[in-house]
Amino acid sequence: MDIDDILAEVTADAIPQEQKDLQQLTRSWVAERVAPELLAWPEELMERVLERIRKQIELVEDQTGNMDPKTNFKLIIIQTELERFKFLVRSFLRARLKKIDQHALHYKQQHEASQTTSTPLLSPNEYQYLTAHEALLSTHYTSSFLSQFPANLQRLDDTTGGVSMVDKPDEDAAVFVRALKDVGQIFVEGTEKKFEIRRGDVYVVRWSAIRRWVELGDLELI
Amino acid sequence: MALPLPPGLTPPEIAFLCEMELVTVIPRQRLEGLDLLGGNLRPLNPPHRTPLPLWLALLLKRQRRANMVPPPWLSQHSLEAILDYETEHDDVFSPPPRLPSAPSNNALAFSPPFLSSSTADAAADALPYHWLELGEMLLEAASDDFEDPDTMRKLLRGLREVRMAKLRKIVEKLDADGGVKMNGIGAMEIGEGRAFVGGVIDGLRKIAASREQQRKDRDRDEMENGFSGTADDDEMEMA
Repeated sequence: MDIDDILAEVTADAIPQEQKDLQQLTRSWVAERVAPELLAWPEELMERVLERIRKQIELVEDQTGNMDPKTNFKLIIIQTELERFKFLVRSFLRARLKKIDQHALHYKQQHEASQTTSTPLLSPNEYQYLTAHEALLSTHYTSSFLSQFPANLQRLDDTTGGVSMVDKPDEDAAVFVRALKDVGQIFVEGTEKKFEIRRGDVYVVRWSAIRRWVELGDLELI
Repeated sequence: MALPLPPGLTPPEIAFLCEMELVTVIPRQRLEGLDLLGGNLRPLNPPHRTPLPLWLALLLKRQRRANMVPPPWLSQHSLEAILDYETEHDDVFSPPPRLPSAPSNNALAFSPPFLSSSTADAAADALPYHWLELGEMLLEAASDDFEDPDTMRKLLRGLREVRMAKLRKIVEKLDADGGVKMNGIGAMEIGEGRAFVGGVIDGLRKIAASREQQRKDRDRDEMENGFSGTADDDEMEMA
């Protein structure tokens, strides 16, 4: 650790948590809108952001009705910012819901596998939504046509013949990434492609080749 | 409830991101500090220059409560120099602004739109990530804060055309493997090119999928054999 590291740490500590959370929320939103796969639920970040939004709404409700033009203008600014935050959160959640709807069974399996780790894939609410929605769908399928099928063809997650019925997102889809740190050599599996990503570089690359570094926070999706 | 949009950001969403960029304003009215969700807002004291997020700066500007200070790169001299660079080098974009010193390992790394690459003390010689949106928005809302807004518009239009031509040329370099470097590309350009660039790479990949699968299997076999080989060697040495 040299003097630059120490200085960088001091300045990083001086940046208020609110500003860091805004950067992170923005990054999570862009990543979720762009990534072909559902990303892990940022639990602590969302807790902090939602708590702050709740407090800000209370403040706005408290102060509306105040006719003083000065306070009024302040309230306009606060409300504008509040709406921007609400948009970010809402769009983020809706992008996740879309992916959950598209590949429900796949994410259900993934979530159950990730539950023992420190970063579960879905929030409790999302998991509840997924299971309830899935239950409704399969009841509907059963009552409308599946029950007419022979018993061995009624499953929705069959894997006979080495082919899984559960649909997966395209993990090899091309994405745009920006390096926040030096990442080093990247190999694209199945090809001869090798290249080095340095801090600040922008690349178009397969999601499966760089997913690891996006999860670590060394690369960001753009 | 689920979002009906395809992957990628829409132009209004890119503009929304751009509105988080910091710009410098000269306030014309006093405003007390505010506790906002994205951090504290410093009090505005005319005529002291203050950096503000673009959305707030535009709000103040539209109500004639502030004037904008255009970023140094958004000037005739800088844009002309960058345009020259863009026309001379027909296979790379002009380099992005220099990055601030790297954060230490555990600190959060900041990236656009939070790098203050468009405040009054930003670099003059490079286009930031949100150059097109920011330029358009400033020229639309605050054209009276520019000396010669029409020349700016003309230069921005020129830049946009040269760079879009490059983006179209990059397609020749695309192949099934991906891994194409695009340093210096702007947010709006990614937004426009994403569906096409991504579609070409994904399409080529699907055509080459069976060959790739063969190669993957072969690599895996080689790796397994290789590992068992070295393991044997180790054992020999141990013995």
